[in-house]
Amino acid sequence: MKGSWALRDLLRHPVRSGLALLGVAISAALLLDMVLLSGGIERSFEKLLLSRGYQVRVSPKGTLPFDTEATLGNAAQIVAGIRSTPGVVQAGPVLGASLFARHDGALLPLVAYGIDPTAQGIYVLEDGRDLSLGDSTHVLLGKPVARRLGAKLGDTLVLVGRLDPEVAAPARSVKVVVSGLVHFLYDAKDQPSIALTLPMVQGLGGPHLVDRASVILVRAADGADTGAVVTQLRQTFPKLGVNTVGDLVAKFRERLAYFRQLSLILGSIALIVTVLLVGTLLAITVNERLGEIATMRAIGISRTTVIAQVVTQGLLLVVPGGVLGIFLGLGTARWLDAILTSFPGLPAAISFFVAEPRQLTIAALTLLVTGLLAGVPPAWRAANAPIAATLRSDAP
Amino acid sequence: MNRFLLALLICAPLPLRAQLLEIAVERRFADDAKVHIGDTVWIAASADAPEHAARVVAVTEPAADPATIMRRDYRVRLHLPDLAAILGQPDRVDRFGVGLEPGVDPDSAAERLNRVAFGYQVFRSSEIASQSSTTFLVVSRFHRAIAIISILASAVFLLCLMVLKVEERRLDVAVLRFTGISRRTVFRSLLLEAMVVAVAGALLGTGIAAVASAIVNWYYQRTFSTALIFSLLQWRTILFAVVLSIVLGLGAGSLAAWRLVRTPPLTLWRRAG
Repeated sequence: MKGSWALRDLLRHPVRSGLALLGVAISAALLLDMVLLSGGIERSFEKLLLSRGYQVRVSPKGTLPFDTEATLGNAAQIVAGIRSTPGVVQAGPVLGASLFARHDGALLPLVAYGIDPTAQGIYVLEDGRDLSLGDSTHVLLGKPVARRLGAKLGDTLVLVGRLDPEVAAPARSVKVVVSGLVHFLYDAKDQPSIALTLPMVQGLGGPHLVDRASVILVRAADGADTGAVVTQLRQTFPKLGVNTVGDLVAKFRERLAYFRQLSLILGSIALIVTVLLVGTLLAITVNERLGEIATMRAIGISRTTVIAQVVTQGLLLVVPGGVLGIFLGLGTARWLDAILTSFPGLPAAISFFVAEPRQLTIAALTLLVTGLLAGVPPAWRAANAPIAATLRSDAP
Repeated sequence: MNRFLLALLICAPLPLRAQLLEIAVERRFADDAKVHIGDTVWIAASADAPEHAARVVAVTEPAADPATIMRRDYRVRLHLPDLAAILGQPDRVDRFGVGLEPGVDPDSAAERLNRVAFGYQVFRSSEIASQSSTTFLVVSRFHRAIAIISILASAVFLLCLMVLKVEERRLDVAVLRFTGISRRTVFRSLLLEAMVVAVAGALLGTGIAAVASAIVNWYYQRTFSTALIFSLLQWRTILFAVVLSIVLGLGAGSLAAWRLVRTPPLTLWRRAG
């Protein structure tokens, strides 16, 4: 009965009800987008960092992995030390350097990763064969490089190390065979990356890269207390930066505080618009039907029923509007994500808007509570209208 | 290159020596680390590298740069040979700035230098500006997209409110029509009312925007210790918002008023009752 009364009233004014529904839907879409934005990139980043099972990163103190050109010295000794730490099952050094590939008489700049093939967490092999320990004749190509060079498995490439302007010649060059095609997990879109064994990159990069690494990925044993492993590593290597995935996400969050604050402000505005829209519509409806409500009260309909009718009317706007808004919001989230993920240098695997059941539930519940609250003042007014006076003033 | 030194500054009292390096630190670092001109700091290329004593000879205020504001890195300046020596890379630089003689075309100069280049690449200043502004272009596109959604939501909100507002006047309109006032006059009066509401709303909105903009600037300038302007309320933005509000308000008002004046007065009277 409560539902049908409220529904009938909404249907009696199709234009304003339709507009209110549309308004709620757009506000709900904006709210959903902002809920997704508020923590989406952090979850996406965390998922990416844990995708290969390495829970800890060791990098030069005061820097984040690959955030600067700073590198770690005595990499071999540090890796051995980390591997001997209780609870650590794997430690994989990675060195990033700029190299070039000879192609059609020109030099194509490349991002080269030097890795330990037995402990790497930066790529996934998609085709061909992985590198082996001590391999100095093979290279793994990312798709953008393979595309630009037109290279296939088994092709030979000439890689050129640091260029020396004084003698107008490369300091060193090597011929390598393409053994595999890989997907680099942390690369930006179209980043021209290749992977070689660590000693190869150290050698090609020049004397300043001998025995150096940009970052060391550390995997703790299943069931081991990662916190205890990190504490132990920090004690053993006080001059290195030891960060858990949680630490990195927290630092990332600091840098992206703007998006969190923006999502909070715009989400709040969306809620305010919903409250004003639903509240105004219900207030006017109650005003128009005050005589009818007073009659209902006079024949014995309880205050609770009147309140429930008004609140139900609010929910009849908020629930369908919210459902419509969720679909609208998911569509606009894809559009906004496409814009934001075009940030230069951002890993292609990262997304700003991550739609997970939890986020959808939060947005839906927030909207529902908002709709309920918006209906309370007009419902209160309807339930407490003086019956006799209202009937008198409404009498023809 | 300066970034190698970031976060590696260690403040310590040390008696002045003639061979101390000279360093200029940015004001934010000086404030945070309580360092003053004449103090000595220890610097190193990395945490495990040898430390060098340097005397603070200047406190600088770096040019406000939105590209680096979120990084919160501290910036210091050293004489080039000192920094190269600390980094163990003597006679090396990251980049040169090249000044051209008046009349020389930067495009052709860059092209000629790139032809003979080995181990370096020449960029025009405009190219660098274009590359470094990519981030802001993305943010700007994002803001524009959000603005489109906001305008859409506002338009629907305004339309809905105008419909409600005009419909509330059913009884008045019925009475006016009964007394012989023409449809056109009623329509105009409703439209005038819609315009007054839209103008008042737009002015109030402009005031709220000005206050919000001031709060945003105050908060972020304090947070990031910078003079950058984060929210810029320009006259053309205000004009756009006001004109849009009035157009939307008039559009919505005329739509609702048109529906109302088309309805027979008796029907309006009955509905209002």
